[in-house]
Amino acid sequence: MAPEVIRLKNRYCCLFVLVILLSGCAGLQIQAPSDTQQVGEGAVFEAVPKSAMTDNRAVIALLDRAQFDNMSGQREAAGASLERALRIEPRNPWLWLELAQLRLDQGQYAQAITLARKSNSFAGRQPRVQAGNWRVIGQARAAQGNSVGAEHAFRLAAEFAQKAKEDSLFNF
Amino acid sequence: MKLPFPPWHRFNFKLPGRRVRIVALLLLLGLSGYILYLDVTIRKAFEGRKFALPARVYGRALEVYPGLKLTREQFAGELRLIGYHESQHPDQSVTYKNTRYGIEFNTRDFVFADGQQPAQNLLIEFDDGVVSLLQERGSDDVDLPLLRMEPPLIGGIYPGHNEDRELVKIDQVPRQLIDALIVTEDRKFYSHWGIDPRGIARALYKTVTGQRIEGGSTLTQQLVKNFFLTSERTLSRKATEALMALLLEMHYGKDEILETYLNEIFLGQDASRAIHGFGLASYFYFDRPLDRLNPQQIATLIGMVKGPSMYDPRKHPERSLKRRNVVLQVMESQKIITHSQFIAFRQKPLGVVQRVPAGTSPYPAFLKFVHRQLEYDYREEDLRSEGLRIFTTLDPFVQQQAEKTLASRLARIEKARQFDANSLEGAVVVSSTQTGEIQAMVGGRDARYAGFNRAIDARRPIGSLVKSLVYLTALEEPQRYTLITPLDDSELLWQQPGAADWEPQNYDHQFHDQVQLRTALAHSYNVSSSRLGIELGVERILDKLPLYGIDQQPPPFASSMLGAFGLTPVEVTQLYQTFADGGFRTPLRGIRTVVTADGKPLQRYPLNVEPVAEPAPIYLLTAALQGVVREGTARALINWLPAEMNVAGKTGTTDDLRDSWFAGYTGDRVAVVWVGRDDNKPIGLTGSSGALTIWGEMMKNIQPAPLEPVMPEEIEMVNVGPVSGLRYDEGCEAGVLLPFIKGSAPAVISPCAASSEDEAASKLETSPKNKQDTGMIKWLQRLFD
Repeated sequence: MAPEVIRLKNRYCCLFVLVILLSGCAGLQIQAPSDTQQVGEGAVFEAVPKSAMTDNRAVIALLDRAQFDNMSGQREAAGASLERALRIEPRNPWLWLELAQLRLDQGQYAQAITLARKSNSFAGRQPRVQAGNWRVIGQARAAQGNSVGAEHAFRLAAEFAQKAKEDSLFNF
Repeated sequence: MKLPFPPWHRFNFKLPGRRVRIVALLLLLGLSGYILYLDVTIRKAFEGRKFALPARVYGRALEVYPGLKLTREQFAGELRLIGYHESQHPDQSVTYKNTRYGIEFNTRDFVFADGQQPAQNLLIEFDDGVVSLLQERGSDDVDLPLLRMEPPLIGGIYPGHNEDRELVKIDQVPRQLIDALIVTEDRKFYSHWGIDPRGIARALYKTVTGQRIEGGSTLTQQLVKNFFLTSERTLSRKATEALMALLLEMHYGKDEILETYLNEIFLGQDASRAIHGFGLASYFYFDRPLDRLNPQQIATLIGMVKGPSMYDPRKHPERSLKRRNVVLQVMESQKIITHSQFIAFRQKPLGVVQRVPAGTSPYPAFLKFVHRQLEYDYREEDLRSEGLRIFTTLDPFVQQQAEKTLASRLARIEKARQFDANSLEGAVVVSSTQTGEIQAMVGGRDARYAGFNRAIDARRPIGSLVKSLVYLTALEEPQRYTLITPLDDSELLWQQPGAADWEPQNYDHQFHDQVQLRTALAHSYNVSSSRLGIELGVERILDKLPLYGIDQQPPPFASSMLGAFGLTPVEVTQLYQTFADGGFRTPLRGIRTVVTADGKPLQRYPLNVEPVAEPAPIYLLTAALQGVVREGTARALINWLPAEMNVAGKTGTTDDLRDSWFAGYTGDRVAVVWVGRDDNKPIGLTGSSGALTIWGEMMKNIQPAPLEPVMPEEIEMVNVGPVSGLRYDEGCEAGVLLPFIKGSAPAVISPCAASSEDEAASKLETSPKNKQDTGMIKWLQRLFD
């Protein structure tokens, strides 16, 4: 294959990533678009498209439903949909992260921290989901008044986010 | 409820003058009071009974999606369980039809906790045991990503004497049924005031002339009678009933009374469950809703009003058929059906569906578990009358495998070992690893019998199952213990104030000198395990139980390190769930949601997770428990599950072989099996020869996911000698790769052993860790001296 073609392909890849990220912001993510925000030490947590979380369409459908319920203030229902998704893919760290995020939104900080840790236990080498988990832990700790712990978590979140960024650059 | 005797019961009317008037006045007052009392009683009964609805308990809703492991047979089984009928006319709801590659079916509306799911016409196809297609049929077929099936009804929590009913509104009841009921039982229903004087006169005449005691009751009177369930047939009783019937008619309209009658009338008994009302009777005898009954089925039910057990179509089919035909004849004479219809219907068989009496639930053990949970949160009377809908976690497929395997294996063991038949008992619990949901619970080998629930109430010594907790406690100190730390398995005499001298023995009655920690666990060596537990601190280990959700306080004796204390199967499941789930404890749950009768979510039992143990030592424990299955006491599992399944598990056997346990986990399920006798006599079975065989066969049928725990970052894999514990180069073939918490593996790399004999012969002394351990052993020896 000619190098010229490869370069062209790479350019399309970047475009593809951009589109995915934008579409994530446009409502594919469970969190509101404003969740693509500055956290802690300046790490940017980027919205993740659902297609990157799972390749199971049933799980995506449930994530959509959870997102819809969450946005319309039906947090219990959103939790029920996430639990349905977890029954299908109980070892998917993204789903545990979503549940952790939901508990954080509900003000259940200890549960949010534990669920994020549980997500980490399934994450293996997936820095993007680890970054998300540490971000949830950081926010929950901050809400609990543990600013030192929160700062530590945000630092880890930033490190993992950086690692994720490097990985994605490497992959494309 | 008992009714008092009326005041005129023992009254003499032949009294003179003024006294008569006074007494008459008093009597009138008394009578008014009595009528008022009856009025209050009957209205209370009517209002109360009208709405007394049992709680309905549902199993898990099957989630179907392309890619799901599911066979056509399994799916058809699920459909039948929900009440679907095979039909060549797939335009009716709750029917299905086999197609070439799958099943076409019609769902009905169902209200879930999160809203209504409308009826749909769907097609599902299977390919090689996997769902390959899921479509909604219509002018354009639409692929569906996911379908939540209606959950199967698995039981109820019933009011009063286990009264069950399916509430129907009067406009849901076929006109033909109402007409047939009225012409058969009470032709003047729409014109009388609750009693029919001519009917009463006729009944009285026949009773007085000694012909026979005859009903002559109006529907209203029958309803009153049904409220107070009594077979007493006295005149005063009848009078009270008549009075109450009159009162009822004063307060309520004909349709209201009829509707209550249709829902209230007793129509049969299903073991401990009483079948009330036509709505439920229609399902109970014909497995279909009222509006799908044909005229001869309607006639059968109407015929039963006269005597539900006398004309029970299952117990007395001939009598029931005769009675049905009498009703059909009345229907014809009153022009509800034509003559030719009468001739045709009369020829038809009863058409009753055969079924095993299920009582209040076919899964009594699980239902009891759920009920116990609900009792914490609800008042008993609300549970029994508010028509709550309870969505639970029971998976009928898993449950069926558990029940079937327990019963068949126990029978097989009894036969092979020439035990008395039915002398062995057992219990099984299966839960989901990551969500803690109980998928199956069997409380005894006769799973239908709602008696002693061994899964939650039999607290039996757990034997070696406790060793997992002992070894985990050791592995939580990586500087002292790794999987290859040598343990001392030489003779041990333990003396403790307040307890008898204790000298643990190994199952093979031998001592094994120095053995690696993982080997001691794999072969469940009692002596080294006891020594390890004592070294770590018995109380320290037992004090951990509450963390794992177990509220038992075993005695702080060294024998507790060999499981000389009792736990229930469900408690053991909770313990192993935490091991299986990376140290996160998820309280076991049987209930997901409780919804009110009109579909409003009342309470959710959300997934809660508690961190109990660090992931790294848990990872080591799991590796060691996989060793138990690969090369230890649970080797026999290979007869059912392939090595790639990487099952982790532990056998448990108690003194004199009284209890046989197996607790284990795969990637998605935790299961615990107990086998023993109710009278606690020895059964001659080890964990391996008893419970393990049930566990293995059951799991094989459930087809679990392989166990592939994610390696925590604190863990590294190191090549070590399987006997010597020496660290070898990565390429050395004499070694085995074992997980270590970083920094705890032997630091010095030894020259690769040439053969396994050389490896076994290598001395343990080279590792710096061993020196420390030898020191500990010496300390212990001093302790014992």
